[in-house]
Amino acid sequence: MKSTVFPFVAVVGQEAIKKSLIWNIVNPCIGGVLISGEKGTAKSTLVRGICSISIGMKLVELPLNITEDRLIGNIDFEHAVKFGEKHFEPGILYKANGNLLYVDEVNLLPDHIVKALLESASSGVNIVEREGISFRHASKFILVGSMNPEEGGLRPQFLDRFGLFVEVKGESDIRKRAEIIRRRIEYEKDPLLFIKKWQRKNEELMIKIESAKKALNKIVIAPNAIQLAASIAKEGNCEGHRAEIVIIETARAIAALDSRIALNISDIKEAAKYALPHRVREQQPQQEQRSRQEQQEQDSTKHQDKPQEQESSNEQNNDRQSDQQNDNADDYPKDGRQEDDPDNMTSGQETSDGEEVAEGGSEKVDDPGEIFTVSKWLSEKSNNSIAKRSGRRSLVKTSSTQGRYVKYRYPIKGEIKDIAIDATLCAAAPYQLYREKNGRAVAIEKSDIRVKLREKRTGNTIMFVVDASGSMGANKRMKAVKGAILSLLNDAYQRRDKVGMIAFREHSAELLLGITRSVELAEKKLAALPTGGRTPLAAGLSMAYDVIKAAKIKDKDILPVIVLVSDGKATYSSSGIDAFEEAMNVADKVAADKIKSIVIDADDSFVKLSLAEKIAEAMKADRFEIRELQAQSIVAAVSMSL
Amino acid sequence: MNINKKIYPFTAIVGQEKMKLALILNIINPSLGGVLIRGEKGTAKSTAVRSLADLMPERSQIEGCKFSCDPSNIEQACQQCSEKIKSGKYNIIKSKMRVIDLPVSATEDRVVGTLDIEHAIQKGEKKFEPGLLAEANRNILYVDEVNLLDDHIVDVLLDSAAMGVNTVEREGISYTHPAKFTLVGTMNPEEGDLRPQLLDRFGLVVDVTGENDTLKRIEIIKRRLEFEKDSKAFAKSYEHEQKDLSGKIQKAMRILPNVTLEDSFFETAAKISIALGVDGHRADIAMIKTAMTIAAYNMRETVSKEDLKEAASYVLPHRMRRRPFEGSQIDMDTVESKINEIIN
Repeated sequence: MKSTVFPFVAVVGQEAIKKSLIWNIVNPCIGGVLISGEKGTAKSTLVRGICSISIGMKLVELPLNITEDRLIGNIDFEHAVKFGEKHFEPGILYKANGNLLYVDEVNLLPDHIVKALLESASSGVNIVEREGISFRHASKFILVGSMNPEEGGLRPQFLDRFGLFVEVKGESDIRKRAEIIRRRIEYEKDPLLFIKKWQRKNEELMIKIESAKKALNKIVIAPNAIQLAASIAKEGNCEGHRAEIVIIETARAIAALDSRIALNISDIKEAAKYALPHRVREQQPQQEQRSRQEQQEQDSTKHQDKPQEQESSNEQNNDRQSDQQNDNADDYPKDGRQEDDPDNMTSGQETSDGEEVAEGGSEKVDDPGEIFTVSKWLSEKSNNSIAKRSGRRSLVKTSSTQGRYVKYRYPIKGEIKDIAIDATLCAAAPYQLYREKNGRAVAIEKSDIRVKLREKRTGNTIMFVVDASGSMGANKRMKAVKGAILSLLNDAYQRRDKVGMIAFREHSAELLLGITRSVELAEKKLAALPTGGRTPLAAGLSMAYDVIKAAKIKDKDILPVIVLVSDGKATYSSSGIDAFEEAMNVADKVAADKIKSIVIDADDSFVKLSLAEKIAEAMKADRFEIRELQAQSIVAAVSMSL
Repeated sequence: MNINKKIYPFTAIVGQEKMKLALILNIINPSLGGVLIRGEKGTAKSTAVRSLADLMPERSQIEGCKFSCDPSNIEQACQQCSEKIKSGKYNIIKSKMRVIDLPVSATEDRVVGTLDIEHAIQKGEKKFEPGLLAEANRNILYVDEVNLLDDHIVDVLLDSAAMGVNTVEREGISYTHPAKFTLVGTMNPEEGDLRPQLLDRFGLVVDVTGENDTLKRIEIIKRRLEFEKDSKAFAKSYEHEQKDLSGKIQKAMRILPNVTLEDSFFETAAKISIALGVDGHRADIAMIKTAMTIAAYNMRETVSKEDLKEAASYVLPHRMRRRPFEGSQIDMDTVESKINEIIN
């Protein structure tokens, strides 16, 4: 069953993806490419397209729901049953050898799969030790991954294993966009005719790639090229030494495609654009502003004797900047925008430019010749879109029968439920020649039985408890509070957390929003929140406690978090004892039940009463001050502690 | 007992014209990419989808094939059918498109397919047991409460919806089969949002609300009571309209391949997408294809500006980039006026 493939050369634009793929085919030592970007941008189409014009290279796909045995390989079940011997049945890593392995949505793969994958990718060998078989085989392949950062990030250690990194967006030029539609419609109407139309151009590219492959070994790498690559990598503060190696290998491919024998500086520069973005690291956030200036001063003196290198790296960074400037301003990846740009989120709040706001400052990256601001911006990207949001918040290994089948194991204490049939059969298979089978081919004994270990993605269940009393309405406090909550809600949306909202004022607490996945509803309720009256803090906390307990009964795997936003000035008590004491009692209950909490202290008065502080202590909660809401850091910090 | 008699007739549904049209368009042109129906409870969402069965056209398939392979399309046929077609040894039967249910509680092995355990134990051989995705090939896959699906099931759906192929590499099985289906999902937005990645896979979206017009509301109640009293007679009373609609759909399917549109429409579509900030290019392509299908449904061979406008209202709402706090019920008036601006 073969479906037709949209011709590689017929894709409009997306030059960056095209280049990164072509380079990898020409020089597989580059180490593959990770393509990150919005949906519907021809990522998969291009990968499929390049394989169809690569001689001797097939496309092997890694489905999202692959189980480990099919990736690494396992016992040949049929052979074992017939002959009682344990033979190795190869998996995807075997099929991928000498080919291109494409992993769509690589950020959604379970960790143990990614680990196995990347280990083979870097060593070129697949070593199998399982179920009593021992086998190793070559597994050298070009690894291409694609992902949509909206769905979550990729762990930094995984990121680094990809040679190149390309970020993609939709086409914004109207004519090109129209041409994209036109071609797609034409293709769908008559695929074979369309393919024929582009065949010659496709073949021309194929020939170009083949001759570049042959020319690769003749490329001469001058020592100053290596030096340049190394210094670029160093300036980008890249971890380890992969960066410079990738730069050189990529530059080789570029030169080979251009029918040259020597590397140009522009080759190195261009290679760096692709090899660095996912490896660049920033320095300590707090010292960034200062160290940035220090480094600049240092650099201008240090590099005076090597003006060329400095210049070229500057140029390279400038190119990068101008390429990406528009991206920075408008079509920044969503997460980047949110975490970088507090202005848009906290309604009506101004973030003063001069403030020491780590992420916010990165928007002003225009000055030419500032390597570090560019690096910082690049590292912002990697921090924001990747490392910080290391995927779905939590993976809970669950014994329920929901969730993804991840691994198998021996049944615990002989309790058998949720049998892993494939593993059980494989365990039983080699012994069939010695067993009574009663007309069947396979007889299974208790010792063969394996059970499934499943994994569920569990976001947090965040219960906002908002103080809507009179004291909160004062001094734009409520505005600031709403802003902070909205930012957290956005974070929750992306991680698909569940949220609920309780507001307390006057004499009671009200459940504005029961636990729901709909972050939009939470936004609406928040917008309509009135303020005024006394502060029944205990009632608010109590209700949160009750709602969470009830939710836990329904699903014991949830991860609840209480986010209390208040100044702590409890002034209404329902039980007759002191209002604050009442609240403290509930706080103790929350802590006793080990419910994770966060307190956002809204007390910004001159003379602090530290009431919210005491509540936070009692609840064993992390505490953040509302003043810090002005800086982007609060949302980031809160998210981190979630 | 004839099961058909229990299904409420499509044409008897009061109002909800947009939703009905979205479903009809997908029958006429299965490559539109399906429909996502969002709305409050009790608005005939599920009723409409389930009642489609009666309107579906007949088509040819290869006898005995679990995947309902198309004899005229060897490229997309399953392994066995490809061989059958090559050797010329096969029978063609006629069958209607069906609605295949994907329940929210479905487990991965039932959706994707798995090892045939019986066969493995009896014969010691590995055989693939097809799942729902196999059944759904060339049919409609219906997911009620699609926003409550388990994440990893959604992942599986995305994979297949993207490529029209189901690749199984799990639990000892390695198998690939065609899985081209029209994805229809319903959801109540209050229960939670849908992942942007999955949202984008739906060609069209319709937001439904309850009927506000009192007369129409009365009519809804009347008809429902009548249906419950005697479903057989009720269905019969709409037989004529059902046949009419069925015929119209089939005519439209014949006209569709001949539909053409002015070249300037491509740029217009591109302008609209950019103005409304949609991600990626699927919206543009869906807009053009939907406009063409609308023209065909209206028995025309040329696409009009109105068609394009209508298409835009179907393909854009779920793809417009969410600015924080705008909510998904984005102010449709502004959207409409923007579209009008560009079109005229």
